[in-house]
Amino acid sequence: MTRRGPRRTGRGRPQRPKDVLHGPAGARGDAFRCVGCRLDVPLAAPGTAHRNHCPSCLVSLHVDRRIPGDRAAGCGGRMTVLSLSVRQDGEWTLIHHCLTCGELSANRIAGDDNALALIRLALRPLADARLPVRAMLTL
Amino acid sequence: MSHDNPQHRSAMSSIDTFTCVRCGLTVATFAPDGGRRDHCPSCLHSRHLVDHVEGGPSDCEGRMTPVSIAVLRTGDWMVIHRCVRCDELTSSPVRGDDNQLILMRMAVRPLAQPPFPLEAFGDL
Repeated sequence: MTRRGPRRTGRGRPQRPKDVLHGPAGARGDAFRCVGCRLDVPLAAPGTAHRNHCPSCLVSLHVDRRIPGDRAAGCGGRMTVLSLSVRQDGEWTLIHHCLTCGELSANRIAGDDNALALIRLALRPLADARLPVRAMLTL
Repeated sequence: MSHDNPQHRSAMSSIDTFTCVRCGLTVATFAPDGGRRDHCPSCLHSRHLVDHVEGGPSDCEGRMTPVSIAVLRTGDWMVIHRCVRCDELTSSPVRGDDNQLILMRMAVRPLAQPPFPLEAFGDL
């Protein structure tokens, strides 16, 4: 069931390029500054063309609506990571939650995302000993 | 998520039911713990009836599949749903009688398919 190795082989279409002006006053910058930890993040990321979150603290900014880089959302709020989802092909996807308007959005993880933060996120449901864990033990 | 007509909904809200669009189970709208539910307790699928961006009813009405589990700071579990028709994401709280096997399966799924080797974390 687990698919290892190159994950992009089964994809039908390549990721569309994300063309956004990141610098001040519409200048074309090649980096953005994280609103959570103030890290300067380069736009080029291994494994994805659509980096939208800080690789260190996984915080994002609510500027895009549906298409990566469309800058259609007027909110501009901080988005914190809410949970982790797994696609059918085994790719991990972060679910971000906007603290200003409550909108949810999904984005694939990048190759240089903080592995410890990702694992902490993945272990969060398993960390509290609630009913589902007991249900598994009774099987 | 009721499909009854509105005048019945107000008078008979405590015995209101809906039919799951995936497994066909007839579900009471109110969970035993008193909360209003929007997904089937058996297969956890939902229906895109509420527009979460603008509020009010949604005109999509597509089926929504559960994609992940979120744990809030309070310790409450939320199910993240994704609409198969318009790709909208919503979250709804887990009710006490939700299928715990499916909840558990979603919770352990990231660790079953890790994008990087997990052996290094044993040394930490």
